[in-house]
Amino acid sequence: MSAAIATVTCPKPTFASTLHAEWIKLTSVRSTWWTIISIVSLGVGLTVLICGLNAEWLASEEANEAVGSFITWGMMVAQIGAVVLGCLIATAEYGTGQITSTFAATPKRGQVIAAKAVLLTVLLFVVGTVTALAGYFGGNWFLEREGIGLALEGNVLRAMYGSGLYLAGLGLMSLGFGFIVRHSAGAISTALALIFVVSNMVFLVPGEFGEWIAKLMPSNAGSVITTPVSFNPNLLDAWPGFAVFLAETLVVLALAWVLVRRRDA
Amino acid sequence: MIQLCNLTKRYGDTVAVDGIDLVVEPGRVTGFLGPNGAGKSTTMRMILGLDRPSGGQVTVNGRPYVDAVAPLREVGALLEAKAIHPGRTARGHLRQLAASNRIDSSRVDDVLDTVGLTEVADKRAGKFSLGMGQRLGIAAALLGDPAIVMLDEPVNGLDPEGIRWVRSLARSLADEGRTVFISSHLMSEMALMADHLVVIGRGRIIADQPLSDFMSEYASNEVILRSPHITRAAEVLTGPNTEVQLNGEHLHVRGMDPEHVGDAMHAAGLVVHELTVNRSSLEDVFMELTADAVQFQTSQFEEVPA
Repeated sequence: MSAAIATVTCPKPTFASTLHAEWIKLTSVRSTWWTIISIVSLGVGLTVLICGLNAEWLASEEANEAVGSFITWGMMVAQIGAVVLGCLIATAEYGTGQITSTFAATPKRGQVIAAKAVLLTVLLFVVGTVTALAGYFGGNWFLEREGIGLALEGNVLRAMYGSGLYLAGLGLMSLGFGFIVRHSAGAISTALALIFVVSNMVFLVPGEFGEWIAKLMPSNAGSVITTPVSFNPNLLDAWPGFAVFLAETLVVLALAWVLVRRRDA
Repeated sequence: MIQLCNLTKRYGDTVAVDGIDLVVEPGRVTGFLGPNGAGKSTTMRMILGLDRPSGGQVTVNGRPYVDAVAPLREVGALLEAKAIHPGRTARGHLRQLAASNRIDSSRVDDVLDTVGLTEVADKRAGKFSLGMGQRLGIAAALLGDPAIVMLDEPVNGLDPEGIRWVRSLARSLADEGRTVFISSHLMSEMALMADHLVVIGRGRIIADQPLSDFMSEYASNEVILRSPHITRAAEVLTGPNTEVQLNGEHLHVRGMDPEHVGDAMHAAGLVVHELTVNRSSLEDVFMELTADAVQFQTSQFEEVPA
Protein backbone atom coordinates (compact mmCIF):
# COMPACT_ATOMS: atom_id res chain seq x y z
CA MET A 1 0.00 0.00 0.00
CA SER A 2 1.42 3.31 -0.97
CA ALA A 3 -0.23 5.02 1.97
CA ALA A 4 1.63 2.77 4.39
CA ILE A 5 4.95 3.53 2.73
CA ALA A 6 4.32 7.25 2.94
CA THR A 7 3.75 7.14 6.68
CA VAL A 8 6.93 5.16 7.23
CA THR A 9 9.23 7.54 5.36
CA CYS A 10 7.64 10.76 6.52
CA PRO A 11 7.63 11.93 10.14
CA LYS A 12 4.39 13.86 10.44
CA PRO A 13 4.70 17.51 11.40
CA THR A 14 2.70 18.28 14.53
CA PHE A 15 1.85 21.35 16.57
CA ALA A 16 5.21 20.86 18.29
CA SER A 17 6.89 21.33 14.88
CA THR A 18 5.09 24.63 14.43
CA LEU A 19 6.15 25.66 17.94
CA HIS A 20 9.73 24.71 17.16
CA ALA A 21 9.69 26.72 13.92
CA GLU A 22 8.15 29.76 15.61
CA TRP A 23 10.71 29.52 18.41
CA ILE A 24 13.55 29.63 15.88
CA LYS A 25 11.89 32.61 14.20
CA LEU A 26 11.39 34.41 17.49
CA THR A 27 14.98 33.95 18.65
CA SER A 28 16.67 34.54 15.30
CA VAL A 29 15.76 38.21 14.86
CA ARG A 30 17.27 41.06 16.83
CA SER A 31 14.00 42.90 17.48
CA THR A 32 13.00 40.18 19.98
CA TRP A 33 16.15 40.69 22.03
CA TRP A 34 15.91 44.47 21.86
CA THR A 35 12.35 44.49 23.16
CA ILE A 36 13.22 42.07 25.98
CA ILE A 37 16.21 44.20 26.93
CA SER A 38 14.01 47.29 26.98
CA ILE A 39 11.36 45.57 29.12
CA VAL A 40 13.94 44.44 31.66
CA SER A 41 15.95 47.65 31.78
CA LEU A 42 12.92 49.95 31.94
CA GLY A 43 11.04 47.71 34.36
CA VAL A 44 13.90 47.21 36.77
CA GLY A 45 15.63 50.56 36.30
CA LEU A 46 12.58 52.77 36.73
CA THR A 47 11.26 50.84 39.74
CA VAL A 48 14.62 51.12 41.49
CA LEU A 49 14.97 54.77 40.54
CA ILE A 50 11.47 55.76 41.67
CA CYS A 51 11.77 53.80 44.94
CA GLY A 52 15.20 55.32 45.57
CA LEU A 53 13.97 58.86 44.95
CA ASN A 54 10.75 58.48 46.94
CA ALA A 55 11.86 56.28 49.84
CA GLU A 56 12.53 59.14 52.20
CA TRP A 57 9.26 60.92 51.34
CA LEU A 58 7.27 57.68 51.61
CA ALA A 59 8.70 57.10 55.08
CA SER A 60 7.76 60.62 56.17
CA GLU A 61 4.55 62.01 57.61
CA GLU A 62 3.64 63.85 54.37
CA ALA A 63 3.35 60.68 52.28
CA ASN A 64 -0.14 60.25 50.85
CA GLU A 65 0.57 57.24 48.64
CA ALA A 66 1.00 53.61 49.59
CA VAL A 67 4.49 52.15 49.40
CA GLY A 68 3.05 49.19 47.50
CA SER A 69 2.12 51.46 44.57
CA PHE A 70 5.80 52.12 43.94
CA ILE A 71 7.33 48.65 44.08
CA THR A 72 6.36 47.76 40.48
CA TRP A 73 6.34 51.33 39.10
CA GLY A 74 8.67 50.53 36.20
CA MET A 75 6.28 47.94 34.81
CA MET A 76 3.90 50.76 33.79
CA VAL A 77 6.50 51.80 31.24
CA ALA A 78 7.97 48.36 30.52
CA GLN A 79 4.60 47.17 29.26
CA ILE A 80 5.25 49.14 26.05
CA GLY A 81 7.85 46.49 25.24
CA ALA A 82 5.26 43.72 25.55
CA VAL A 83 2.94 45.59 23.16
CA VAL A 84 5.72 46.12 20.64
CA LEU A 85 6.86 42.49 20.80
CA GLY A 86 3.33 41.15 20.45
CA CYS A 87 2.57 43.35 17.45
CA LEU A 88 5.89 42.68 15.73
CA ILE A 89 5.61 38.91 15.94
CA ALA A 90 2.56 39.19 13.71
CA THR A 91 3.28 42.27 11.59
CA ALA A 92 6.92 41.51 10.77
CA GLU A 93 5.58 38.51 8.85
CA TYR A 94 3.43 40.74 6.67
CA GLY A 95 5.88 43.61 6.33
CA THR A 96 8.63 41.35 5.04
CA GLY A 97 6.61 38.94 2.91
CA GLN A 98 7.68 36.15 5.27
CA ILE A 99 3.98 35.30 5.75
CA THR A 100 3.98 33.65 2.32
CA SER A 101 6.72 31.23 3.37
CA THR A 102 5.08 30.69 6.73
CA PHE A 103 1.64 29.78 5.43
CA ALA A 104 3.09 27.73 2.57
CA ALA A 105 5.00 25.67 5.14
CA THR A 106 2.09 25.53 7.60
CA PRO A 107 -1.14 26.04 5.67
CA LYS A 108 -3.21 25.47 8.80
CA ARG A 109 -3.08 29.11 9.78
CA GLY A 110 -4.73 28.74 13.16
CA GLN A 111 -1.78 26.58 14.16
CA VAL A 112 0.63 29.40 13.38
CA ILE A 113 -1.35 31.89 15.47
CA ALA A 114 -1.62 29.39 18.33
CA ALA A 115 2.11 28.64 18.29
CA LYS A 116 2.99 32.32 18.34
CA ALA A 117 0.52 32.89 21.16
CA VAL A 118 1.91 30.06 23.29
CA LEU A 119 5.52 31.19 22.90
CA LEU A 120 4.67 34.82 23.51
CA THR A 121 2.71 33.96 26.67
CA VAL A 122 5.50 31.88 28.18
CA LEU A 123 8.23 34.32 27.20
CA LEU A 124 6.45 37.43 28.47
CA PHE A 125 5.29 35.73 31.66
CA VAL A 126 8.86 34.76 32.51
CA VAL A 127 10.37 38.08 31.45
CA GLY A 128 7.64 40.07 33.22
CA THR A 129 7.92 38.13 36.47
CA VAL A 130 11.71 38.20 36.53
CA THR A 131 11.70 41.93 35.75
CA ALA A 132 9.21 42.65 38.53
CA LEU A 133 11.24 40.58 41.00
CA ALA A 134 14.50 42.30 40.07
CA GLY A 135 12.76 45.66 40.46
CA TYR A 136 11.42 44.58 43.83
CA PHE A 137 14.81 43.55 45.16
CA GLY A 138 16.45 46.73 43.89
CA GLY A 139 13.67 49.08 44.99
CA ASN A 140 13.07 47.39 48.29
CA TRP A 141 16.71 47.92 49.24
CA PHE A 142 16.02 51.67 49.36
CA LEU A 143 12.69 51.18 51.12
CA GLU A 144 14.23 48.99 53.82
CA ARG A 145 16.85 51.62 54.54
CA GLU A 146 13.95 53.91 55.44
CA GLY A 147 12.30 51.17 57.46
CA ILE A 148 9.34 50.77 55.09
CA GLY A 149 10.44 47.61 53.27
CA LEU A 150 7.85 45.20 51.90
CA ALA A 151 7.91 41.46 52.50
CA LEU A 152 7.69 39.25 49.42
CA GLU A 153 4.34 37.75 50.31
CA GLY A 154 0.62 38.27 49.80
CA ASN A 155 -0.24 41.07 47.39
CA VAL A 156 3.42 41.94 46.88
CA LEU A 157 4.16 38.41 45.70
CA ARG A 158 1.03 38.47 43.54
CA ALA A 159 2.19 41.71 41.94
CA MET A 160 5.35 39.90 40.84
CA TYR A 161 3.74 37.07 38.88
CA GLY A 162 0.84 39.42 38.20
CA SER A 163 3.27 41.58 36.24
CA GLY A 164 4.26 38.51 34.25
CA LEU A 165 0.61 37.63 33.61
CA TYR A 166 -0.28 41.17 32.60
CA LEU A 167 2.63 41.46 30.18
CA ALA A 168 1.70 38.10 28.67
CA GLY A 169 -1.91 39.26 28.27
CA LEU A 170 -0.82 42.55 26.69
CA GLY A 171 1.45 40.66 24.32
CA LEU A 172 -1.41 38.38 23.29
CA MET A 173 -3.80 41.25 22.72
CA SER A 174 -1.15 43.03 20.67
CA LEU A 175 -0.54 39.84 18.69
CA GLY A 176 -4.24 39.92 17.85
CA PHE A 177 -4.03 43.57 16.78
CA GLY A 178 -0.97 42.70 14.70
CA PHE A 179 -2.79 39.97 12.79
CA ILE A 180 -5.84 42.19 12.31
CA VAL A 181 -3.98 45.32 11.17
CA ARG A 182 -1.02 43.53 9.46
CA HIS A 183 1.10 46.65 9.59
CA SER A 184 3.72 47.31 12.29
CA ALA A 185 3.25 51.03 12.76
CA GLY A 186 -0.52 50.75 12.51
CA ALA A 187 -0.80 47.89 14.99
CA ILE A 188 1.64 49.32 17.54
CA SER A 189 0.07 52.76 17.50
CA THR A 190 -3.45 51.29 17.77
CA ALA A 191 -2.48 49.16 20.75
CA LEU A 192 -0.54 51.93 22.49
CA ALA A 193 -3.30 54.46 21.91
CA LEU A 194 -5.84 52.08 23.41
CA ILE A 195 -3.68 51.33 26.42
CA PHE A 196 -2.18 54.68 27.25
CA VAL A 197 -4.47 57.30 25.77
CA VAL A 198 -8.01 55.99 25.48
CA SER A 199 -7.89 54.20 28.83
CA ASN A 200 -7.04 57.49 30.54
CA MET A 201 -9.41 59.65 28.52
CA VAL A 202 -12.43 57.55 29.45
CA PHE A 203 -12.05 58.73 33.04
CA LEU A 204 -13.43 62.00 31.69
CA VAL A 205 -16.70 60.34 30.68
CA PRO A 206 -19.15 61.52 33.34
CA GLY A 207 -21.44 59.49 35.57
CA GLU A 208 -21.63 55.87 36.55
CA PHE A 209 -21.55 54.86 32.89
CA GLY A 210 -18.19 56.57 32.48
CA GLU A 211 -16.92 54.96 35.64
CA TRP A 212 -17.72 51.50 34.31
CA ILE A 213 -16.26 52.15 30.88
CA ALA A 214 -13.07 53.22 32.60
CA LYS A 215 -13.02 50.17 34.82
CA LEU A 216 -13.52 47.83 31.89
CA MET A 217 -10.84 49.30 29.60
CA PRO A 218 -8.27 46.54 29.00
CA SER A 219 -5.32 48.19 30.65
CA ASN A 220 -7.34 49.63 33.54
CA ALA A 221 -8.84 46.24 34.28
CA GLY A 222 -5.73 44.17 33.65
CA SER A 223 -3.04 46.24 35.31
CA VAL A 224 -4.42 46.14 38.88
CA ILE A 225 -2.85 42.73 39.27
CA THR A 226 0.63 44.22 38.78
CA THR A 227 0.68 46.32 41.94
CA PRO A 228 0.18 45.46 45.63
CA VAL A 229 -1.76 48.71 45.96
CA SER A 230 -3.11 50.52 42.90
CA PHE A 231 -2.55 54.26 42.47
CA ASN A 232 -6.12 54.50 41.33
CA PRO A 233 -8.62 53.28 43.95
CA ASN A 234 -11.59 53.34 41.51
CA LEU A 235 -10.67 50.18 39.63
CA LEU A 236 -11.81 46.57 39.71
CA ASP A 237 -10.11 44.22 42.13
CA ALA A 238 -7.04 42.42 40.88
CA TRP A 239 -8.42 39.04 39.84
CA PRO A 240 -11.87 40.14 38.53
CA GLY A 241 -10.07 42.88 36.63
CA PHE A 242 -7.64 40.42 35.15
CA ALA A 243 -10.51 38.11 34.15
CA VAL A 244 -12.15 41.01 32.27
CA PHE A 245 -8.85 41.82 30.56
CA LEU A 246 -8.35 38.17 29.62
CA ALA A 247 -11.84 37.95 28.13
CA GLU A 248 -11.16 41.06 26.05
CA THR A 249 -7.85 39.60 24.90
CA LEU A 250 -9.58 36.40 23.81
CA VAL A 251 -12.13 38.42 21.82
CA VAL A 252 -9.34 40.24 19.96
CA LEU A 253 -7.51 36.96 19.30
CA ALA A 254 -10.69 35.27 18.09
CA LEU A 255 -11.32 38.12 15.66
CA ALA A 256 -7.73 37.85 14.45
CA TRP A 257 -8.13 34.10 14.00
CA VAL A 258 -11.30 34.51 11.93
CA LEU A 259 -9.78 37.23 9.75
CA VAL A 260 -6.48 35.45 9.15
CA ARG A 261 -8.23 32.27 8.10
CA ARG A 262 -10.59 34.10 5.79
CA ARG A 263 -8.29 36.63 4.17
CA ASP A 264 -5.73 36.09 1.43
CA ALA A 265 -2.28 35.79 2.97
CA MET B 1 0.49 16.55 -10.19
CA ILE B 2 -1.44 19.78 -9.84
CA GLN B 3 -5.02 19.99 -11.01
CA LEU B 4 -7.01 23.16 -11.46
CA CYS B 5 -10.69 22.98 -12.20
CA ASN B 6 -12.54 26.10 -13.27
CA LEU B 7 -10.31 28.04 -10.91
CA THR B 8 -11.39 31.65 -10.57
CA LYS B 9 -10.22 34.65 -8.59
CA ARG B 10 -12.07 37.92 -8.54
CA TYR B 11 -11.11 41.12 -6.77
CA GLY B 12 -14.29 43.14 -6.73
CA ASP B 13 -15.20 43.57 -10.40
CA THR B 14 -11.76 42.60 -11.64
CA VAL B 15 -11.32 39.01 -12.71
CA ALA B 16 -7.69 38.05 -12.13
CA VAL B 17 -8.08 34.35 -12.92
CA ASP B 18 -11.00 33.42 -15.10
CA GLY B 19 -12.06 29.78 -14.82
CA ILE B 20 -8.80 27.99 -15.49
CA ASP B 21 -8.76 24.25 -16.18
CA LEU B 22 -5.28 22.85 -16.12
CA VAL B 23 -3.35 19.72 -15.24
CA VAL B 24 0.34 20.09 -14.52
CA GLU B 25 1.92 16.70 -15.14
CA PRO B 26 5.00 15.18 -13.55
CA GLY B 27 8.21 14.40 -15.40
CA ARG B 28 8.38 17.52 -17.49
CA VAL B 29 8.98 21.22 -17.13
CA THR B 30 5.72 23.09 -17.58
CA GLY B 31 6.25 26.72 -18.44
CA PHE B 32 3.58 29.12 -17.28
CA LEU B 33 3.86 32.06 -19.58
CA GLY B 34 2.03 35.32 -19.51
CA PRO B 35 2.59 39.06 -19.28
CA ASN B 36 2.72 40.73 -15.89
CA GLY B 37 -0.74 40.85 -14.41
CA ALA B 38 -2.02 37.91 -16.44
CA GLY B 39 -2.81 35.94 -13.29
CA LYS B 40 0.27 33.69 -13.00
CA SER B 41 1.17 34.56 -9.42
CA THR B 42 -2.44 34.55 -8.28
CA THR B 43 -2.87 31.09 -9.76
CA MET B 44 0.24 29.83 -8.00
CA ARG B 45 -0.84 31.41 -4.72
CA MET B 46 -4.22 29.67 -5.01
CA ILE B 47 -2.47 26.34 -5.59
CA LEU B 48 -0.80 26.79 -2.21
CA GLY B 49 -3.96 28.00 -0.53
CA LEU B 50 -2.45 31.43 0.11
CA ASP B 51 -5.23 33.14 -1.83
CA ARG B 52 -8.72 31.80 -1.54
CA PRO B 53 -10.32 30.99 -4.91
CA SER B 54 -13.55 32.84 -5.74
CA GLY B 55 -14.66 29.71 -7.54
CA GLY B 56 -13.49 26.31 -8.73
CA GLN B 57 -11.06 23.87 -7.16
CA VAL B 58 -7.39 23.20 -7.04
CA THR B 59 -5.75 20.03 -5.79
CA VAL B 60 -2.17 19.01 -5.23
CA ASN B 61 -1.59 15.26 -5.45
CA GLY B 62 -5.32 14.82 -5.39
CA ARG B 63 -6.24 16.92 -2.39
CA PRO B 64 -6.28 20.57 -1.33
CA TYR B 65 -2.84 21.78 -0.30
CA VAL B 66 -4.10 22.75 3.16
CA ASP B 67 -4.74 19.04 3.82
CA ALA B 68 -1.19 17.99 2.94
CA VAL B 69 0.39 15.95 5.72
CA ALA B 70 3.81 17.52 5.27
CA PRO B 71 3.28 20.48 2.96
CA LEU B 72 6.92 21.26 2.18
CA ARG B 73 7.52 17.63 1.21
CA GLU B 74 4.71 17.81 -1.32
CA VAL B 75 5.27 21.19 -2.90
CA GLY B 76 8.37 23.32 -2.81
CA ALA B 77 7.61 26.82 -3.97
CA LEU B 78 9.38 30.05 -4.69
CA LEU B 79 6.67 32.67 -4.84
CA GLU B 80 8.27 35.97 -4.01
CA ALA B 81 11.98 36.44 -3.91
CA LYS B 82 12.76 37.69 -0.44
CA ALA B 83 9.67 36.35 1.27
CA ILE B 84 12.03 36.38 4.18
CA HIS B 85 12.52 38.47 7.30
CA PRO B 86 15.51 40.69 6.41
CA GLY B 87 16.97 40.33 9.89
CA ARG B 88 17.16 36.55 9.74
CA THR B 89 20.12 34.71 8.29
CA ALA B 90 19.75 32.42 5.31
CA ARG B 91 20.46 29.45 7.56
CA GLY B 92 17.97 30.67 10.19
CA HIS B 93 15.28 31.04 7.55
CA LEU B 94 15.82 27.50 6.27
CA ARG B 95 16.14 26.05 9.78
CA GLN B 96 12.74 27.34 10.83
CA LEU B 97 11.14 26.08 7.62
CA ALA B 98 12.73 22.66 8.13
CA ALA B 99 11.54 22.58 11.75
CA SER B 100 7.97 23.44 10.76
CA ASN B 101 7.73 20.31 8.60
CA ARG B 102 10.04 18.04 10.61
CA ILE B 103 12.59 17.98 7.86
CA ASP B 104 16.01 16.85 9.03
CA SER B 105 18.18 19.91 9.69
CA SER B 106 20.99 18.34 7.64
CA ARG B 107 18.90 19.24 4.58
CA VAL B 108 19.53 22.91 5.34
CA ASP B 109 23.23 22.59 4.58
CA ASP B 110 22.47 20.38 1.58
CA VAL B 111 20.22 22.92 -0.12
CA LEU B 112 22.47 25.85 0.80
CA ASP B 113 25.22 23.97 -0.99
CA THR B 114 22.95 23.17 -3.97
CA VAL B 115 22.11 26.83 -4.55
CA GLY B 116 25.64 28.03 -3.82
CA LEU B 117 24.90 30.09 -0.70
CA THR B 118 27.02 28.17 1.81
CA GLU B 119 29.49 31.02 2.19
CA VAL B 120 26.81 33.60 3.01
CA ALA B 121 24.60 31.23 5.03
CA ASP B 122 25.10 33.22 8.23
CA LYS B 123 24.57 36.64 6.66
CA ARG B 124 21.27 38.42 7.19
CA ALA B 125 18.94 38.00 4.25
CA GLY B 126 18.30 41.76 4.16
CA LYS B 127 21.82 42.22 2.83
CA PHE B 128 21.25 39.83 -0.06
CA SER B 129 21.05 40.92 -3.69
CA LEU B 130 17.90 40.02 -5.62
CA GLY B 131 19.77 37.13 -7.21
CA MET B 132 20.89 35.77 -3.85
CA GLY B 133 17.33 36.16 -2.58
CA GLN B 134 16.14 34.07 -5.54
CA ARG B 135 18.70 31.40 -4.73
CA LEU B 136 17.59 31.34 -1.11
CA GLY B 137 13.97 31.06 -2.25
CA ILE B 138 14.91 28.14 -4.48
CA ALA B 139 16.80 26.54 -1.57
CA ALA B 140 13.62 26.81 0.50
CA ALA B 141 11.65 25.21 -2.34
CA LEU B 142 14.05 22.25 -2.48
CA LEU B 143 14.23 21.80 1.29
CA GLY B 144 11.55 19.14 1.58
CA ASP B 145 12.77 17.19 -1.47
CA PRO B 146 9.26 17.69 -2.87
CA ALA B 147 7.69 15.87 -5.81
CA ILE B 148 6.31 19.19 -7.04
CA VAL B 149 8.46 22.25 -7.52
CA MET B 150 6.79 25.53 -8.34
CA LEU B 151 8.87 28.59 -9.13
CA ASP B 152 7.39 32.01 -9.85
CA GLU B 153 9.69 34.02 -12.12
CA PRO B 154 12.83 32.27 -10.83
CA VAL B 155 15.28 33.91 -13.22
CA ASN B 156 14.37 37.46 -12.20
CA GLY B 157 17.47 39.20 -10.95
CA LEU B 158 19.80 36.33 -11.78
CA ASP B 159 22.97 36.80 -13.79
CA PRO B 160 23.48 34.74 -16.97
CA GLU B 161 25.29 32.04 -15.03
CA GLY B 162 22.42 31.90 -12.55
CA ILE B 163 19.86 31.73 -15.33
CA ARG B 164 21.66 28.79 -16.89
CA TRP B 165 21.81 27.16 -13.48
CA VAL B 166 18.03 27.48 -12.99
CA ARG B 167 17.51 25.99 -16.45
CA SER B 168 19.63 22.92 -15.71
CA LEU B 169 18.08 22.59 -12.25
CA ALA B 170 14.59 22.59 -13.75
CA ARG B 171 15.69 20.02 -16.29
CA SER B 172 17.21 17.68 -13.73
CA LEU B 173 14.18 17.98 -11.42
CA ALA B 174 11.87 17.04 -14.28
CA ASP B 175 14.17 14.19 -15.33
CA GLU B 176 13.90 12.83 -11.80
CA GLY B 177 10.17 12.55 -12.44
CA ARG B 178 9.07 15.61 -10.47
CA THR B 179 6.36 18.03 -11.47
CA VAL B 180 8.07 21.29 -12.37
CA PHE B 181 5.90 24.37 -12.85
CA ILE B 182 7.74 27.56 -13.70
CA SER B 183 6.30 30.93 -14.55
CA SER B 184 7.87 33.63 -16.62
CA HIS B 185 6.90 36.63 -18.65
CA LEU B 186 9.75 35.95 -21.06
CA MET B 187 8.96 33.71 -24.01
CA SER B 188 12.63 33.36 -24.84
CA GLU B 189 13.30 31.96 -21.39
CA MET B 190 10.45 29.47 -21.62
CA ALA B 191 11.56 28.38 -25.08
CA LEU B 192 14.85 27.26 -23.53
CA MET B 193 13.45 25.72 -20.37
CA ALA B 194 10.00 24.26 -20.88
CA ASP B 195 8.81 20.96 -22.35
CA HIS B 196 5.22 21.99 -22.13
CA LEU B 197 3.80 25.45 -22.38
CA VAL B 198 0.78 27.00 -20.76
CA VAL B 199 0.09 30.54 -21.93
CA ILE B 200 -2.13 32.74 -19.83
CA GLY B 201 -3.52 36.14 -20.72
CA ARG B 202 -6.06 38.17 -18.82
CA GLY B 203 -6.69 35.27 -16.47
CA ARG B 204 -7.48 32.77 -19.23
CA ILE B 205 -5.53 29.89 -20.68
CA ILE B 206 -4.68 30.74 -24.28
CA ALA B 207 -2.49 27.76 -25.06
CA ASP B 208 -1.72 24.50 -23.29
CA GLN B 209 0.46 22.22 -25.40
CA PRO B 210 3.96 20.83 -25.88
CA LEU B 211 6.47 23.54 -26.63
CA SER B 212 7.33 21.98 -29.99
CA ASP B 213 3.69 22.03 -31.08
CA PHE B 214 3.34 25.57 -29.89
CA MET B 215 6.33 26.66 -31.91
CA SER B 216 5.26 24.98 -35.11
CA GLU B 217 1.72 26.21 -34.71
CA TYR B 218 2.28 29.81 -33.80
CA ALA B 219 5.82 30.69 -34.73
CA SER B 220 5.02 29.74 -38.32
CA ASN B 221 6.23 31.86 -41.15
CA GLU B 222 4.11 34.45 -42.77
CA VAL B 223 4.55 35.27 -46.43
CA ILE B 224 4.16 38.88 -47.49
CA LEU B 225 3.18 39.43 -51.06
CA ARG B 226 3.11 42.57 -53.20
CA SER B 227 1.37 42.47 -56.55
CA PRO B 228 -0.55 44.85 -58.86
CA HIS B 229 -3.38 42.27 -58.76
CA ILE B 230 -3.62 42.20 -55.02
CA THR B 231 -7.37 41.60 -54.74
CA ARG B 232 -7.28 38.74 -57.22
CA ALA B 233 -4.30 37.32 -55.40
CA ALA B 234 -6.24 37.34 -52.15
CA GLU B 235 -9.00 35.31 -53.78
CA VAL B 236 -6.59 32.86 -55.33
CA LEU B 237 -4.60 32.27 -52.15
CA THR B 238 -7.49 31.91 -49.78
CA GLY B 239 -8.09 28.28 -48.95
CA PRO B 240 -9.13 25.95 -46.18
CA ASN B 241 -5.65 25.95 -44.64
CA THR B 242 -4.57 29.45 -45.43
CA GLU B 243 -5.50 32.75 -44.07
CA VAL B 244 -4.90 36.00 -45.91
CA GLN B 245 -5.05 39.52 -44.75
CA LEU B 246 -4.88 42.62 -46.92
CA ASN B 247 -2.75 45.34 -45.48
CA GLY B 248 -2.41 48.34 -47.81
CA GLU B 249 -0.75 47.06 -50.94
CA HIS B 250 0.63 44.02 -49.11
CA LEU B 251 -1.03 40.69 -48.66
CA HIS B 252 -0.13 38.69 -45.55
CA VAL B 253 -0.47 34.97 -46.15
CA ARG B 254 -0.38 32.42 -43.37
CA GLY B 255 -0.40 28.67 -43.69
CA MET B 256 1.39 28.49 -47.04
CA ASP B 257 5.09 28.47 -47.72
CA PRO B 258 6.64 30.93 -50.21
CA GLU B 259 7.13 28.26 -52.92
CA HIS B 260 3.42 27.48 -52.99
CA VAL B 261 2.47 31.15 -52.96
CA GLY B 262 4.72 31.77 -55.99
CA ASP B 263 3.40 28.70 -57.80
CA ALA B 264 -0.20 29.66 -57.16
CA MET B 265 0.36 33.17 -58.43
CA HIS B 266 2.09 31.83 -61.53
CA ALA B 267 -0.71 29.35 -62.18
CA ALA B 268 -3.27 32.17 -61.97
CA GLY B 269 -1.18 34.32 -64.30
CA LEU B 270 -0.66 37.05 -61.74
CA VAL B 271 2.41 39.24 -61.55
CA VAL B 272 4.42 39.19 -58.37
CA HIS B 273 6.44 42.26 -57.41
CA GLU B 274 7.62 41.13 -54.04
CA LEU B 275 7.60 37.92 -52.04
CA THR B 276 9.03 38.05 -48.52
CA VAL B 277 9.06 35.61 -45.66
CA ASN B 278 8.38 37.20 -42.29
CA ARG B 279 9.68 34.94 -39.55
CA SER B 280 7.94 36.14 -36.46
CA SER B 281 9.89 35.47 -33.35
CA LEU B 282 8.35 33.56 -30.49
CA GLU B 283 8.39 36.79 -28.56
CA ASP B 284 6.21 38.43 -31.22
CA VAL B 285 3.83 35.50 -31.19
CA PHE B 286 3.56 35.68 -27.46
CA MET B 287 2.95 39.41 -27.50
CA GLU B 288 0.30 38.95 -30.13
CA LEU B 289 -1.31 36.08 -28.24
CA THR B 290 -1.51 37.89 -24.98
CA ALA B 291 -1.99 41.48 -26.13
CA ASP B 292 -5.69 41.00 -26.08
CA ALA B 293 -6.84 37.56 -25.15
CA VAL B 294 -10.45 38.28 -25.96
CA GLN B 295 -9.80 39.75 -29.37
CA PHE B 296 -7.57 36.83 -30.17
CA GLN B 297 -10.21 34.33 -29.35
CA THR B 298 -12.87 35.91 -31.48
CA SER B 299 -11.07 37.00 -34.61
CA GLN B 300 -7.42 36.60 -35.38
CA PHE B 301 -6.90 32.88 -35.07
CA GLU B 302 -9.84 30.63 -35.48
CA GLU B 303 -8.38 27.52 -33.95
CA VAL B 304 -7.93 27.97 -30.27
CA PRO B 305 -6.05 25.06 -28.81
CA ALA B 306 -7.94 23.31 -26.09
